[in-house]
Amino acid sequence: MNEITTAIRTVPLEHYVFLSFVLFSIGLAGALFRRNTIIILMCLELMFNSVNLLLAAFSAFHSDPSGQVFVFFIMLVAAAEVTVGLAILVMMKRNVDSVDVNQLNRLRW
Amino acid sequence: MSALILISVLGVVVLYLGLLGNKRLLAPVGILGLIGALVLFYTGYHVEMPLFANMVRFDGFSIAFNSAMIVITVLLFVFGVDYYALMKEHVAEHYALMLFSLTGAFLLTAYTNLLVLFLGIEILSIPLYILAGGKKRSYRSGEASFKYFLLGSFATAFFLMGIALIYGVTASFDLGKVREYAELHAGQHSILFLLGSFFVAVGLSFKVAAAPFHFWGPDVYEGAPTLVTAFMATVVKTAAFAAFYRFVSMTGMPEALSRTLLVMTLVTLFIGNVVALRQSNFKRLMAYSSIAHTGFLLMALLSTSGLTAQMLFYYTFTYALATVGLFIVLTLAKRAANGNENIQIFRGLFRARPWLAIVTMLLLLSLAGIPLTAGFIAKYQVFLLAIQGGFLKTTAFAVVMALIGIYYYVLVIREAFTPAEEGIAIAVTPANWLVISLCGVAVVALGIWPAWLL
Repeated sequence: MNEITTAIRTVPLEHYVFLSFVLFSIGLAGALFRRNTIIILMCLELMFNSVNLLLAAFSAFHSDPSGQVFVFFIMLVAAAEVTVGLAILVMMKRNVDSVDVNQLNRLRW
Repeated sequence: MSALILISVLGVVVLYLGLLGNKRLLAPVGILGLIGALVLFYTGYHVEMPLFANMVRFDGFSIAFNSAMIVITVLLFVFGVDYYALMKEHVAEHYALMLFSLTGAFLLTAYTNLLVLFLGIEILSIPLYILAGGKKRSYRSGEASFKYFLLGSFATAFFLMGIALIYGVTASFDLGKVREYAELHAGQHSILFLLGSFFVAVGLSFKVAAAPFHFWGPDVYEGAPTLVTAFMATVVKTAAFAAFYRFVSMTGMPEALSRTLLVMTLVTLFIGNVVALRQSNFKRLMAYSSIAHTGFLLMALLSTSGLTAQMLFYYTFTYALATVGLFIVLTLAKRAANGNENIQIFRGLFRARPWLAIVTMLLLLSLAGIPLTAGFIAKYQVFLLAIQGGFLKTTAFAVVMALIGIYYYVLVIREAFTPAEEGIAIAVTPANWLVISLCGVAVVALGIWPAWLL
C-alpha cells in the first residue's frame, strides 16, 4: 500500500488534476454531442472515472484513505445506475426501434 | 436509524406481498409502516446521535423534514389505492420503489458526510428513473424516464466532480471539517474549493429543477405517471432542498457561490412564471409552477440566517400539500375526460362536484400565494427573509414574478367555475375525497395559524 502511495506521489498532483479535467471534458463533450445513446452512456462512465482518478490521487497525496473508499462507492453506484439505464434503453428500443437520442422529441425539450 | 431500516425493510416486505399476489394489502401495509417510522422518529431513539461512523445524524431539522415527507407519502399511498386499482401487475414494485426512494430522502436530510450526500441522491434518484417509466407500454412514459435518467446521471457526474474537488482542498468529506476549513479561509478560498462548491450546487439544482438546469422538469412531469409526478414534485423536491440547505450552510456561502445562486434564482423565477403562461397542459403547468416555487425556495436559501431552515420546511410542506391535492384532482378529471390533460378538462367541475371545485380553488390560490392560505404566509416569510438578507432588488423582482404567476393559476380556477356544455361525470372514491379535503383544509388552516409549523 505504501509503495503504491509513494509511486503515485512521484507525479505532481497538478498533473493528476489536469488529466482528470481533460478526461472529464472529453466525457462531457461526448455526452453532449454524440447522438448514439450507448456512446452517451460510455461518456458518462468516462466522467465518473475521471472523478475516481482525481479522488484516488487526492487520497494518496493527503495520506487519507477515505478518498479511496469513496471510489468504491462511486463504482458501485455507477454500476447500479447503468443497470437501470440499460433497462430503460431496452424499453425505449422496443418502443421506437432505435437508440438515437434524437428520437426523444415527442415531449418537447 | 431505526426508521431508516424500517422503511427499507418495509419496501422488501411490500415486494414480497406483491409476489404473493396480495394486491389489496399493499397500500395498507405501506401506510402502517410509514406511520411506524413516524412514531420511531418521535420516540427520540437514535436522535441527535452520530450514526454509521459519524456520517449521519438525525437532528431536529432532519426529523421535521422526514416527518413532512412521510405524511406526504402516506397521502400518496392512500391515493395509490385508487390510482393502481386498474393495474393488473407490478403494483407492488411501484410502492416498494417509492419506499426505497424515501430512504434516500431520509439520508439527504440527515447527512453529515459528503459520501452520504452522494449515496442519498443516488438512492433517491435510481428508483425514480424506473418509476418515471412506470407505464411500460406508453411511449411518453419511456421517454420521460430515459430523459430523466440521462440528465440525472449527467448531473451526478458534475456533482461528484464537485465533491472530489472539495475533498482535494479540505482532505475530508466530513461536513464539520469542511465547515471549519471554509470558516478559516473565508474570503480567500482557493479556486478549487469554489469550483467544487459550484459543481455540487449545479448537481443539486438539477434535482430541484432550478433554471438553467430545469429542462427535464416539464417533460418528465408530463410523461411520468401522475402519482410519480406528484411524488417527484413533493418528496423529492423537499429532500433535495433539505440537502441543498445543509450543503450551503456547510460552505459558509462564499461570495462566488452566492452570486451564482442569485443568478439562478432570477432566471428560475422568470422561467417558472413567464413561460408557464403559454402552457395549456395541466401537468406541464404544474411543472412550471414547481420551477417557480424552486425559485422562491432558492431565494430563501440565499439569505442564510437562522430562520432559513424553518422557512424552507414551512414552504416545502405547504407546497407539497397543495400539489398532492391538485394532482389527485387532475387524475380524477383526466379519467372523466378520457386521458386528456388540457386545463379545459376542469370545465364544469363546480356544477358537477361543488366541494371538489372549491378545494381545487383553495389549493391553486395557495400555490399562487393569496392571503389566508398557507402559500401566502410562505411567500411572505421568504420575502421578509430576503429583505433582511439585503436582497432588496431580488425581492422586488420576485414579487412581480409572483403577481404574473397568479394569472395562470386563476386561469385554471376560471375553467373549474365555467359551466360546461355537457355535464362531466367525475367519480370520487371516499379515500380520494378525504385526501383532497385534507389537503384543502390543511392549506387554509396553516395559512390562518402558521404557528403550528413555524
